Amino acid sequence: MTMNENEWRANVIALIAEIREVDGATIRGDSRLREDLGMDSLNSLELLSGLGEQFKLDLPIEDALALVTVDDACAFVMSAWRAQHGAAA
Amino acid sequence: MTTQRILVVGATGFVGLHVVDALLAAGHSVRATRRPRSVTLLLRRRDVELVPASLEDPAALRSAMADCDAVCFCAAHYPRYSLDSAAAFATASAGAKAIVEAALNAGVPRVVATGSIASVGPAPAGRDADERDVHLTPPSHSVYGQVKWHIERELDAGRARGLSVVSLLAGACIGAGDLRLGTNGILAAMLAGALPWWVDGRVNVADVRDVARAHVAALAPRELLPSYALPGRTVRVRALFAWLARRYAVARPALELSAAEAVARADRDERAAEPIRGRVLWPRELVDLVTHGQRVSGRAAQRDLGFEPAPIGETFDQAAAWIATHVLAPARRRQERRAS
Repeated sequence: MTMNENEWRANVIALIAEIREVDGATIRGDSRLREDLGMDSLNSLELLSGLGEQFKLDLPIEDALALVTVDDACAFVMSAWRAQHGAAA
Repeated sequence: MTTQRILVVGATGFVGLHVVDALLAAGHSVRATRRPRSVTLLLRRRDVELVPASLEDPAALRSAMADCDAVCFCAAHYPRYSLDSAAAFATASAGAKAIVEAALNAGVPRVVATGSIASVGPAPAGRDADERDVHLTPPSHSVYGQVKWHIERELDAGRARGLSVVSLLAGACIGAGDLRLGTNGILAAMLAGALPWWVDGRVNVADVRDVARAHVAALAPRELLPSYALPGRTVRVRALFAWLARRYAVARPALELSAAEAVARADRDERAAEPIRGRVLWPRELVDLVTHGQRVSGRAAQRDLGFEPAPIGETFDQAAAWIATHVLAPARRRQERRAS
């Protein structure tokens, strides 16, 4: 599986849209998870859990709340994917 | 012990996850139900078969129970607020009924249900309360207590139809892994210096690992009581907070409220939080539990299930260490933002 940055972002946004029950088209890379999208700590865990399941990653919970924007979440999951599935990404 | 296949309903929750660990440690094979949006981060690190099912889907629930030797029901309704009691009772009863129906249909030999110490009624004079002291009517002081009462009655209805159900009436479970900071929320807030007030009373502190091991013991195919109190250690809140403050070098909350003031404050906080699905530090059900707290004996659980409460220091150290490394408490985040 090889995805570019835009594809990763599309996946992350689709999941956030599902969790917050909003239209994904309203979510941008620089949208802030808490302030703009209203995500609480449980939503952040749902996001992390969903991404982990979708991409077969073991994501550390400790990092869930350090993510501020949608782009942070994308960078986080891309970096975890590279670390856990090799440089092929 | 023979290896059995056990279905855990509610395995993505705090108690359920510890039940999974205790089952795996005892050599059992574990199947766990999950909802589409369940947070499976911790569960997926275990050797567990995950199957999609929920209490609202009888067919999926029954199919998840197929060929299981027992079911651990760790998903009984826990009302987040004590405001809409009728809806809470309906959800609670429906969930317990779904488990009973599915277990009877699937022919499951034993159901072990996580219950609450709130289901233990007042003791007669001369002895501590225990599982024999059943509330004959729903306890009027607490919506949470009434929710638990309705669940136990559904389980009784299952027993009357021949289902073997063991209810484990656990005290306030403390330990690592409480992702949503339920009972551990008060501790997290106190460690963060963000507990604005407190109310005195008695609390039954149970180590979640002891409670989990009691679930495993209750699976054994032998004659057991219908329910067991798992109180852990009964302590006064005043003494507990003083001890916690010393042990973790944090301040005690300054403002002590009377029971009536605490009830009013908790209700007010819940009314403010409910529209935004927010969290309150002292939810009404904890105020009720504490102010109506009593000495409860765990002697029957000790005799039949080997329930031995861990030293209270070990219990709180486990929880405190976990909280310190998992920055999940909203109160702590608010405090850090203020500090920065």
